[in-house]
Amino acid sequence: MKYRLAYKPEKCSGCLQCQLTCSFMFSRVFQLSAAHIQIHIKGAVYRAMFTDQCTQCGLCADNCLFGALTKSKSEVTN
Amino acid sequence: MKLGGFAGKTVSVDLSIGTVATEAIDEAVAREFIGGLGMCIKLAADRIPPGAAPLAPESVFVVGAGPLVGTNLPSSSRVYAVCKLPGTQTIGWCGAGGFSFGAQLKYAGFDHVVVSGRAANPVYLHVEDGRVDIRDAAALWGLGIEDACERIGGRHEGSIGVLTIGPAGEHRSTLSMAFVDRISTLGRGGFGAVMGAKNLKAIVVKGRGPIDVAQRRRFGRLSQTMLKNIREYVYLKEWQDLGMVKAFPVVPPDEYRKMKMRRVACVSCPVGCKDVVRIPEGPYEGLEKHSSSAINLLTPTMFGMQDISESIRLVIELDSVGLDMFEFFNVMEFAKKLVDAGIIHLQPDEIPVDLTSFDSMMSWTKKVACREGTGDLLADGVNEAIKKIGPSAAAHAGMLVKGIKPYAGPGAALPWDRFGTMELGQVLDPRGPHVGSGGSPTYFAIRPLTVFPKHLKRMGVPEAAIGRILGEKGTSLNVGRLLRYSHAWFATLGSLGICARGQVNRFYNADICAEAYEAATGIHTTKADLAERVARIWKTLRDLNLREGLDDSYEAFPEEWFGENGFKDYLTGEPLTIEQAEQMRLDYYDEWGWEA
Repeated sequence: MKYRLAYKPEKCSGCLQCQLTCSFMFSRVFQLSAAHIQIHIKGAVYRAMFTDQCTQCGLCADNCLFGALTKSKSEVTN
Repeated sequence: MKLGGFAGKTVSVDLSIGTVATEAIDEAVAREFIGGLGMCIKLAADRIPPGAAPLAPESVFVVGAGPLVGTNLPSSSRVYAVCKLPGTQTIGWCGAGGFSFGAQLKYAGFDHVVVSGRAANPVYLHVEDGRVDIRDAAALWGLGIEDACERIGGRHEGSIGVLTIGPAGEHRSTLSMAFVDRISTLGRGGFGAVMGAKNLKAIVVKGRGPIDVAQRRRFGRLSQTMLKNIREYVYLKEWQDLGMVKAFPVVPPDEYRKMKMRRVACVSCPVGCKDVVRIPEGPYEGLEKHSSSAINLLTPTMFGMQDISESIRLVIELDSVGLDMFEFFNVMEFAKKLVDAGIIHLQPDEIPVDLTSFDSMMSWTKKVACREGTGDLLADGVNEAIKKIGPSAAAHAGMLVKGIKPYAGPGAALPWDRFGTMELGQVLDPRGPHVGSGGSPTYFAIRPLTVFPKHLKRMGVPEAAIGRILGEKGTSLNVGRLLRYSHAWFATLGSLGICARGQVNRFYNADICAEAYEAATGIHTTKADLAERVARIWKTLRDLNLREGLDDSYEAFPEEWFGENGFKDYLTGEPLTIEQAEQMRLDYYDEWGWEA
């Protein structure tokens, strides 16, 4: 199933658990650069970017314990 | 065969001759010393020349991250350094929340960096995807921590890790520390001076490579189970909201929320105890600060400063120059006594020493960090100042353990008075007073003994030892014997790369640590195997210090700890006696099976 993914930068801690989980799921290694979600941090400004390879599986949201990433059931892409 | 979990290489840099050499991790050594802190200690034992002065060119320091660092196992991002510290003259560990530095080091292909020699001019190490360069740091020298990180960050696209010193380290003050990613502190005891003495401003790491684990399905199941357990932890949201203010409510939560901009976490940490704050009002309104915890920003209020915004502004300055704030306040307290007693005289243009005054402390921060005027006399701490001034100053030294003021206990910054493992550990950890290694259930005074067994089992304490610690009926407490297992638990977590803070390590136990290590590395490991390797690690650290001349005098208890205003027995609340403390010291070594 594809999920709609939402990112709330004000809740993001920059722990990068989403990137780690994603790369381990799809590349079988822990590699930030291979993740389909990329968190960009510049000072206190946080952004999330989903790459074209993102399958919207929602695993990143499942493993976000800060509530910055959430998923909802939807066929609509983010 | 490359081990899982490890990046696989150690890089050794000699700054005197400008050489860089890499070598593969020796699997046999990894089996014996686990990785991370353990491997740092092993490398230090092999590489630090016997008797080398801490700030001499031939002195060596090691920085490293454990085999779980860079994975998604919760809170596995710790960074350690091991060197001979100028503040204590002992070989000690320094540890920090690795933020992104540890993971980036691993992704760049290295588990450890060994640095020796002294560069002719200021340099920094640039580590990126398997390459290590020694680069000119002339433009960085003299910059504060934040400015240096900004300048270095501006040279790179994307995320990097930065370990850097400020002016205090450059001027080789033994009160200096290094900072990891501008947030975490590394090296009470003068690690900043160790880097500064090598003319090394920073280590910059950037990696795009992978960290593989040996048993992927097993490792994935373990990390998912742990994340599920943490998600269900009833106090998780409160920790995420308040951070260390939850444990140390130095300000009411509402006051804290006024300054809080966001909570930030080290890579892989689901709790996130670091802070970005903004001064909410007053003359410094709007100033922002990254900090290892908001409570650090309020440390000056423990020494009498009244205004919170001034306290934060002062800590911004202390962090910028790279000073250990506890040691700074200690040496300023000492200086004030010397001035009041007429033993030293300030120069005409120097502001009187007043620990409660913002203007005074701001002025002295710069003078100590940059060795200006009387600041030069104070920049190497109390003991070195006494050597320069003479015996008349010694009576004003106050409490010192291994040359450093205890951070916890009567008369210390954290004035709790029950004598648990953390308090005893200030004397028995070779690195001296530090909050890190003495954790146990006694961390929270005063807990009922009934909760101890489950925590001791979690820490991997054998059943027979639990009997020795809590007595046959479970009604007594042997702090010395318990501290032996606190140090072992700390070394276990540190060698794997897991954070030792209580709000995180509560989710781990010795079985999980063994399973995580085995799944990551592929090295067969039971709980008993880990215990054996940790004993080897801590023994190596002790032997290294014995080699350097550590004797009973390094483990002397301050006389201020005893008497009516001194420490109290953890259980009874009765004043602790020096005989009891000395017995704890003997019991500690007996529990390890070592000679005291």
